[in-house]
Amino acid sequence: MSGEEEENAVELKIGDEFLKAKCLMNCEVSLIFEHKYEHLQQVSEDPMNQVSQVFEKSLQYVKRFSRYKNPDVVQQVREYPLSFFSFVRVYMPYDFDRILSRHQLTEFELCVLCNLCPKTAEEAVAMVPSLKTKGRAHSDEVIEKMLNDLSLVKRFE
Amino acid sequence: MFFHIVLERNMQLNPRFFGRNLRENLVSKLMKDVEGTCSGRHGFVVAITGIESVGNGLVRNGTAFVTFPLKYQCVVFRPFKGQILEAVVTLVNKAMSISFMYLYDFFFWLHLIPDDTEFQAGDMLNYTTSDGSVKIQKECEVRLKIIGTRVDATEIFCVGTIKDDFLGVINDPAAA
Repeated sequence: MSGEEEENAVELKIGDEFLKAKCLMNCEVSLIFEHKYEHLQQVSEDPMNQVSQVFEKSLQYVKRFSRYKNPDVVQQVREYPLSFFSFVRVYMPYDFDRILSRHQLTEFELCVLCNLCPKTAEEAVAMVPSLKTKGRAHSDEVIEKMLNDLSLVKRFE
Repeated sequence: MFFHIVLERNMQLNPRFFGRNLRENLVSKLMKDVEGTCSGRHGFVVAITGIESVGNGLVRNGTAFVTFPLKYQCVVFRPFKGQILEAVVTLVNKAMSISFMYLYDFFFWLHLIPDDTEFQAGDMLNYTTSDGSVKIQKECEVRLKIIGTRVDATEIFCVGTIKDDFLGVINDPAAA
């Protein structure tokens, strides 16, 4: 794919397709996969045979690296009935989407922050350098407020 | 990073699968064909979560096979250069690199570890800093930054570093 603008997550150059797509945090992926695994258990006797190695390893990965362990909290913040053939998003107060719109974050940035849970503004900027660029120029106080909002959600666990 | 996107695919179905269970057969064939594969553009398709639409089938000329255009939702894993994420060390070797990652063993190579770490042979191969405070060995969790990706038609290789600020070992189960 020569001639394409070089990808760089630091500057949020990840292609339009992914900038606009729904980014998933590890905890959400963990819920989805567990649900799918349960569905497979109902349908066949040996679900592990049905899934690819990629799925198995991804399931192990997201289980290990989920920051928000309580499925109720995760489900509340981006509530959707996890039926196999439908996805609906319902908004609730103190949810991630309000944090998204209030601080003008992209989904990608929000997910990186939620996956890594930085404790200070300095760490957050190191994880997501585009917080300080892209014309938004968030000051440190604003970033600290954002991190507080995110940790508030976690406190409800 | 995991994304939830809609992809399209043309699925060909053998006439013996037609009948009452046509849709189920189509979906299971899709899952068998697509889950676990990788494309350079979208990354690894990890799991299909739903079918958005199934178009009308077209009988192919000269055969009895029918092609259905399918739109489906799936979870993909696509790493980006510059992205920071956490992973588990799965293999340590001597050539100044540590292979990762919990997800796909063949997937990540770690380079550019800090200068003051040295390789230690022994029961548990590891890299240790000169003052012994930090040990990088199998099963320890590390935060790394992807500094380059190479994208083929069917695979993605990444090189990462733990040399920057706020990167490196975050949790070492063996040390607890």
